[in-house]
Amino acid sequence: MDYDSLLNMGSELGYQLMYSGAEIYRVEESVLRLLTAYGLQPQVFAIPNCLIVSVNTPNGHPITRMRRIPAHGTDIELLERCNGLCRKLCREVLPVSEAKELIDQLGKKKQTYPTHVLLRGYMAAAMFFAAFFGGGLQDAVSAGICGLAVGGWILYIGAKLGFNGFFQTLIGAVIATQMGLWMVHLGFGSNLEAISIGTLMLLVPGMALTTAMREIMAGDIISGMSRTADAILTATAISLGVVVALAIGG
Amino acid sequence: MQQILSFLPACLWGFFACLAFGLVFNIHGWGILICGFGGALGWFVYQAVQHMAHNDIIAAFLSAVVIAVYSELMARIRRCPVTGYLQIALLPLVPGAGIYYAMRYCVAGENEMFLSTLLHTFGFAAALAVGAMLASTIMRSLLPRFYHRH
Repeated sequence: MDYDSLLNMGSELGYQLMYSGAEIYRVEESVLRLLTAYGLQPQVFAIPNCLIVSVNTPNGHPITRMRRIPAHGTDIELLERCNGLCRKLCREVLPVSEAKELIDQLGKKKQTYPTHVLLRGYMAAAMFFAAFFGGGLQDAVSAGICGLAVGGWILYIGAKLGFNGFFQTLIGAVIATQMGLWMVHLGFGSNLEAISIGTLMLLVPGMALTTAMREIMAGDIISGMSRTADAILTATAISLGVVVALAIGG
Repeated sequence: MQQILSFLPACLWGFFACLAFGLVFNIHGWGILICGFGGALGWFVYQAVQHMAHNDIIAAFLSAVVIAVYSELMARIRRCPVTGYLQIALLPLVPGAGIYYAMRYCVAGENEMFLSTLLHTFGFAAALAVGAMLASTIMRSLLPRFYHRH
């Protein structure tokens, strides 16, 4: 059996899972199950940006692969596809070359929405959250415009300038609050809270917080703590952004 | 009855907001509707409990429990990871408003209000997290036959 390509296959699946924003225990267990299904006894260890997979060949030779995971967002579609493929491979145990082909396809054939659809997603989310927090029709439309600006910043400008997450969120919060203030000054919207909070909801670290708690409960304290720190940093960035905008325009 | 009807508009907005977030987090197909319903359901429970108990921490806890039970069930039915459904359905409850108000008090120099709002926001987030985790853990022990971790 070709242990090198088995190991590559397992670590590639783990890499794609990590990249989709899966919890650590899901990554570790998926790789473990996959390689166990192929008759190996792997050791898998993962922390948020590193994955280590190690196996012993029958003649006692240990081989290890380490993958570093770059900064990534959340991609539920990729997560579901990795999960489905892992289940399928554990059930059917396809030949290694075929399975490797399927796993390599995961990262290449990505099904994503085009950027302008994402931008509209940001706009709609801000609009509906403004209505959700008690804004009227005009407030919702104002929040939609603010959401468009924040979405444009995140999708087009911030990522291209190579800003790190902290400053990207901080400037996003400045844009959200400042534009909310302008909308009210111009007399277009009336409910400043609904507009600003609705737009800020685009930036809050809901994902990081929930993932962090799930990991802590699952016993992955290191990654749980680092994600909690991430969530707190993001919340701090939002707070600073709000303060800056309120101090300038309020 | 009147009271229940008055909860519905916010649930509807929460539903659409969750759909929009489903786009942002790249969910395709039916999953996006499941997230939306989860968000609406959670917000309905939150409003109902707050109406009865007048305590938003308890309301956050119970709505997180309901959302987690719902997401775990849906994940089993669709044989998909629970992560996406749970996280997006919880988003309307994430205390973005708390952060905003706390910072407004901070800028206005009202330190007492700032600290109490900030602590309240932390308490709210912790109630959400503990509620969701508790329900997930119980669901997993109740449904061992259907339980596949991935």
